[in-house]
Amino acid sequence: MDTHVVDLIPGYALDCLDGDEFVRVSEHLAVCVGCQAELHSFEAVADELALAVPDADPSADLKGRLMRRVEPADPETSSQTQISWWGQLTRLMRRSTPTWGLAGLILIVALIVSNLWLWGQLSRPDAVTEPGFLQTIALTGTQVAPQATGLLVVSADGEHGTLVVDGLAPLSEQQQYQLWLIQDGQRTSGGVFSVSDEGYGSLWISSPEPLATYSAFGITIEPAGGSPGPTGDKVLGSPL
Amino acid sequence: MMSLSRTKIIPRGSANPDVCLNAFALLKNFVHNTVGGFIGQIALHSTRETVRRGVDYSKLNDETLVRLAGREHQDALGELYDRYSRLVFSLALNTVGDHAAAEEITLDVFTRVWERAELYRPDRAKVSTWLTSITRHRSIDVLRRRGSRPEQHSIGWAEVLPDHLPSVDGPEEATELAIQRRRVRAAIAQLPPEQKQVLALAYFKGYSHREIAEALDQPLGTVKTRIRLAMQKLREMLMEEQIST
Repeated sequence: MDTHVVDLIPGYALDCLDGDEFVRVSEHLAVCVGCQAELHSFEAVADELALAVPDADPSADLKGRLMRRVEPADPETSSQTQISWWGQLTRLMRRSTPTWGLAGLILIVALIVSNLWLWGQLSRPDAVTEPGFLQTIALTGTQVAPQATGLLVVSADGEHGTLVVDGLAPLSEQQQYQLWLIQDGQRTSGGVFSVSDEGYGSLWISSPEPLATYSAFGITIEPAGGSPGPTGDKVLGSPL
Repeated sequence: MMSLSRTKIIPRGSANPDVCLNAFALLKNFVHNTVGGFIGQIALHSTRETVRRGVDYSKLNDETLVRLAGREHQDALGELYDRYSRLVFSLALNTVGDHAAAEEITLDVFTRVWERAELYRPDRAKVSTWLTSITRHRSIDVLRRRGSRPEQHSIGWAEVLPDHLPSVDGPEEATELAIQRRRVRAAIAQLPPEQKQVLALAYFKGYSHREIAEALDQPLGTVKTRIRLAMQKLREMLMEEQIST
């Protein structure tokens, strides 16, 4: 019995067979090389039918809409772009030439090595000071947050710094952590911050004086936005 | 049928998780506050550099443009748009019959190129075929969601008149495309009207044999025969053209 489905193959190529016929042709094609070749020839015809549509032009602004869709914000003009540094880095790596890619890789390796070095300093109880290089100051958890650790990274000239913390409990929306810069018993706010669900947080320290002029640092829990002076529990501190 | 959805699986490192993850998190936070802006500037610089290099995307072939678009080269996507937006839009408009919907479909098609360029297989189809395949399926999806019935006056094949032949200016692909369009239009023009009609309903509207028979109030066997004869005749004419050229 001739079980070939040649008459139905043109319809199969156009995807216009009804369910039962579609199943029958599919089953036959799975085992018949001759009908597979027939199908390929009709698929080539079906692929070309789109070329015979009447011409029509889209709106002149459609290309602009497409460009805006694939690049929602213009990075050259928008300072508010919320692309993370990690997203920018990965995009850069994907876009860049091999030379840039290699340079980026070296940068990443260097950062990882330096971070591991900084991480090692956390175990040292005292401040580390090396002239001409970044200074790091370890912060240790109090009884309120015994698992918490922190690290102040101060620029070589002592002017600016960054705080990174780990192991702090996430707070409610009504509360934030506040950094205090201590000098002669006076406490000045260095900024407020929150931590992620994992307990990580960071802060670019805002200081009226060079950080090198302060003798100690502390972090307390305060109302969201911060307080003029410490009012809540102290969670992290550096040795006086 | 090509699968249009795929989920990316991103493996996570598992070695010495506490130390590695803590170190990485600290690194991430530190870099975020200190060098994030620097990296952003590098990215911007890279973009400007690309422009300054003066790459003439109009000289690149379609496959290269798709690859570059997949790497977020907007100019490459723009060049693809310039080459094929008219074809994509025309096909979408002929299918859905609605200018606004056809433009949305056109945007979706090129956005898909941008986001999923890796799905393109040059060993299986030309870029123009890949784009029209996406366009056709997307357009038919839109039609089916609407549940609309075919409007015979809204679909059809291009007239083949010497004054309306596509331009053959531009890069090699554009020239080849223009020649193909002329060839296919000429072949379809030779089909009897009743065959062109059923072919249009099957191709543009995604109707099955049975749906076409119901829509046109014609016997099912007649519809099947017309479609088969139309496809066979087109294959014969198009293959003859290819051999002669």
